[in-house]
Amino acid sequence: MVNMRRIAVALAALVALCEVVAAAEGAYVSAADGGAGAVVVADGPPAQQQLRGEAELPWLFAVYAITWAAFFGYVFVMSRRQREMRAEIAALKRALAERE
Amino acid sequence: MVLRVWQVALQLAAAVNTFARLNGNVATRNALLAAGAALMLITLYMVFMWVPTELNLGVSQRIFYFHVPLGWLGMLSIIVVAVASVAYLVSGKEWWDALAYSAAELGVVFASLILVTGVIWARGDLGWWWTWDAKLTTTLILWFIYVGYLMARAYGPKGSQGARIGSVIAAIGAIMSPIIYMSTVWWSTAHPELNVGPAASDSDAIESSRIYYTLLVATLAFTLLYAYLLVERYALRRSESELDELHREFAVHAN
Repeated sequence: MVNMRRIAVALAALVALCEVVAAAEGAYVSAADGGAGAVVVADGPPAQQQLRGEAELPWLFAVYAITWAAFFGYVFVMSRRQREMRAEIAALKRALAERE
Repeated sequence: MVLRVWQVALQLAAAVNTFARLNGNVATRNALLAAGAALMLITLYMVFMWVPTELNLGVSQRIFYFHVPLGWLGMLSIIVVAVASVAYLVSGKEWWDALAYSAAELGVVFASLILVTGVIWARGDLGWWWTWDAKLTTTLILWFIYVGYLMARAYGPKGSQGARIGSVIAAIGAIMSPIIYMSTVWWSTAHPELNVGPAASDSDAIESSRIYYTLLVATLAFTLLYAYLLVERYALRRSESELDELHREFAVHAN
């Protein structure tokens, strides 16, 4: 429980640090004046660039969805195998004990 | 330097072994998962709410915060496999081999994700799925090395002989890691230039930016989740060994 509290404090400190550092920086790569979530474009009509950004959203969604599906799928498969294996180990141990 | 890296690798592997012992340290494993999950939530906040959209690539650049950490872990995994394989050959301790096998299986997962996220990003941003340039091809070779390692272990000789064959494959894979990293420097590729790590040129580096900090937190989050998966897979591998041993014992009793 103490560990969890320490982790939570450390994470909060990390977020605060990021905010402080970023605020102190003043300028960011390729998006100096955009702020969070802004679409900053180099050339061309802004509306057209915004549209291009929206058209890319399905690819962004696909990447995040596939990554999470792979992670949770792998965890699920591992936990199921572990559960089955523990049951088999227990059964074999019982069988061995009965033979002895 | 090499000795120091080796010592750190040994310490890390010993820590994994301690974490992963069955019926113990469950709280530590859960803490690892909780820390990884919490950091991932912060990563998602930073990716979608905090970091600005990159000038040239648009919204699809946010794939970067998943693609790069996956790439780092995919390459790290083969080094873990190689170090653990050599340590097994030197020490003869079975848990090193279990660690190597577990890291190889995770390597397949992460290398697959590097390729999948990479081709999706390329399709969205450049309009093509795949091209046979150096970065993509060397990463695909790494994927084949992971699969080759697992197939050699599954269908090849068992015991120490199988581990020896596996360690040779892992050593080849470990050589691939720096080649993949440097491929955009050594060859002309369609893949973007290096902008993270020691070989990134000043003009391409992303230090001192929101992009950099977001990438840093995302990498930490993925590394913690990787550590959790490695520990869980390692525990499973130990259970598999225990089950094999019990089957052998049972067969002896049956005869």
